[in-house]
Amino acid sequence: MNKKQFLTGSEVVVRGAIDAGTSMMYGYPITPGTEVFTGWVGSGKKYLQTEDEIAAGFAMCGAVIAGQKTFTATAGPGHVLMQDGLSMAEGMRLPFVAVVAQRGGPSSGTVIYSQQEVTLAVYGGNGEGMRLVYSASNLEELYLLTRLAFNNAWKYRFPTIVLTDGYLLKTKGVVDFSKFEKLENVKPYPLVKEGEIKHWRNIFTFEEELFEEIEKTKVDFDKMSVEVAESEEYETEDAEILIIAHGIVGAAAKLAVQKLRIENKKVGLWRPITLRPLDNEGLNKNLNKVKKVLIVESSLGQLSKLVKDGIKDCANVSFEYLQKPAVGIEAEEIMDKILKIK
Amino acid sequence: MLKILLAGDGGQGIQLISKILSDSVFENGFNITQIPNYGLEQRGGVSLSFIKISEDEIVYPKFSQADMVLVLSDQARERTKNYIGDKTEKIDILDFKDLLKENNILLTSFNIFFLGLILKKLKENKIDILENASNLLEKKLSTKPNWEENKKAFEVGLK
Amino acid sequence: MNKEINNSACKFCPGCGYPIVLMTLEKVLSDLGVKEKSVLGLDIGCSLLAWNFLPINTFQTHHGRVTPTIMGFKRAKKDSTVIGLTGDGGAYAIGLQSLLWAARRDEPVTILVVNNTVYAMTGGQTAPTTLKGQKTDTTPQGVEAEPLDGIKLLREVASEKAFLARTAVNDIGNLKSYIEKAIETQKSGHFACVEILSMCPTNWKTKGVDTINKLNSLKEVFKLGIF
Repeated sequence: MNKKQFLTGSEVVVRGAIDAGTSMMYGYPITPGTEVFTGWVGSGKKYLQTEDEIAAGFAMCGAVIAGQKTFTATAGPGHVLMQDGLSMAEGMRLPFVAVVAQRGGPSSGTVIYSQQEVTLAVYGGNGEGMRLVYSASNLEELYLLTRLAFNNAWKYRFPTIVLTDGYLLKTKGVVDFSKFEKLENVKPYPLVKEGEIKHWRNIFTFEEELFEEIEKTKVDFDKMSVEVAESEEYETEDAEILIIAHGIVGAAAKLAVQKLRIENKKVGLWRPITLRPLDNEGLNKNLNKVKKVLIVESSLGQLSKLVKDGIKDCANVSFEYLQKPAVGIEAEEIMDKILKIK
Repeated sequence: MLKILLAGDGGQGIQLISKILSDSVFENGFNITQIPNYGLEQRGGVSLSFIKISEDEIVYPKFSQADMVLVLSDQARERTKNYIGDKTEKIDILDFKDLLKENNILLTSFNIFFLGLILKKLKENKIDILENASNLLEKKLSTKPNWEENKKAFEVGLK
Repeated sequence: MNKEINNSACKFCPGCGYPIVLMTLEKVLSDLGVKEKSVLGLDIGCSLLAWNFLPINTFQTHHGRVTPTIMGFKRAKKDSTVIGLTGDGGAYAIGLQSLLWAARRDEPVTILVVNNTVYAMTGGQTAPTTLKGQKTDTTPQGVEAEPLDGIKLLREVASEKAFLARTAVNDIGNLKSYIEKAIETQKSGHFACVEILSMCPTNWKTKGVDTINKLNSLKEVFKLGIF
């Protein structure tokens, strides 16, 4: 196993799934996720191209019920269709793992890039969004989050999504796998066992029955949140302005912070790694240090809504926004915006 | 840190030289990121490759202004003008029309000529990946038609 | 866990055909000795009511989605016996895409389609198998199209080794033997689908012998047999 490799994001995802001990992929071709599927097929592992994403989602549900580690990769309109299966996974606590490559939306949008599938990933089904959603900012993180997604889906049994985008999946870069040698895998197990009789429903006759079910799920979700919610603080110690950004825009923001610091500008970055559950503790701790916040995203506020929801008390903070739906955001643009903030 | 943007029409071989360039840079132990542009845009349109080379960690693969831009067509020129700043070195095919003609470089080998040219410039920038790139070029193209023409174009570019 | 049929869990309407199908299925699985390794997947329609009825592993899925779900289970656990229970709507409307493709790929799964010609759980709306001229809440002028012959449609795409058949809940001899054949076909690695004409006195608004008469009249439209 070569330690450093020059790989695309798609190749990194495939490698992550293989290293996680995944044995099956259900997929449907959709840009920019197709290469994850064809890459997996090329690796010689088991797969099925289904008739649509709905079938892929439900085949995955059946597979995990039988105890098989499986996943899918989708995007945009495919992600929309996948919500039917995701919804069942949410209701039945299934270790459903999906890599979602965001594209411009709504409708067919663009095939390239955006950060506009955040709300869909977090709250897409007809439930309360009790899901684990990761957002990768670079290739090594994409690998790591793919590994973690499988582990945590099987450990906590919440549907898990690794959010990425067309840029990252197409970016070819150097990944040092020696950093991940110590990672272990959580073993899958059948949710319905031979020799037992499980009667398992996702529809309830009485409101109270569902209410109780949701209450129980919330307790588990909150327990998971404590263990799994993650974020990165970068140069926030003495920051006066805090940038909040996720995914590849988080990487651009990091570069912007590096360049601004060279000019002695006191700016820092708080970057959520889990969008759901959001690391509210990290968020609030960093908000308390600053007076001004700039939330940067390639969407019209999907990240901002999640962030605002996680804030405990922002009486002393003023918010600014750099929102460019469907379009990449360069470090220089973020720097320009920061320099304009009084 | 070196930021290179390669641009041409789909079919002019931008992705090929991008691959030879980036794989060689990687083999020489540098950090590198490379992003192409997209399928939908590539069909009958412009083919782009954004390359960043550095000895340090590369935090973010894209850039707003390139250090070096290769332009092989009118569409490419239009598409890349926003990436050109005062300090950007422009390698525009229009400036090489005569040289290409004098040396009888085949149209289908233009990209290889410019690959050689860029490698020379990289060497001047202390990034010497010539050996790896030559080997990779040979590996990729020696069994394909017009290898002699491509080889010639490469050598002319290197001068 | 109770290894017997859970009669107190029988939430089906009096006169419904589902319990007959379910009890026959249970007998077949017992006789063939595959009950322990069986899983029963359910659509969301009246079939959902079977979730805690039989002494075998049972799980609900979503409307129209039982076929791909049990396909995924079977591909993950090849030594299992998987049965998908669905109504005519779940099979031939919302789930038709997946049903056709499972047949086309010759997935070794067994689908039982309980056809009562209406969307019963939701109160009797038009279904792919509703008879021409029949009036329902969503076809107040009467259905215009001929009813869909799902088995014939499947035959167009299925492998010749697939088992496709139609019977009825009062076709006692064939009901059991077709379900048995369907399970055996799965064991031999091929797709099987049995459509079972059934009764819904609640939505048909029939009583007593009228229900049976209506069921028998359906046999004129939906031919019984192996196809």
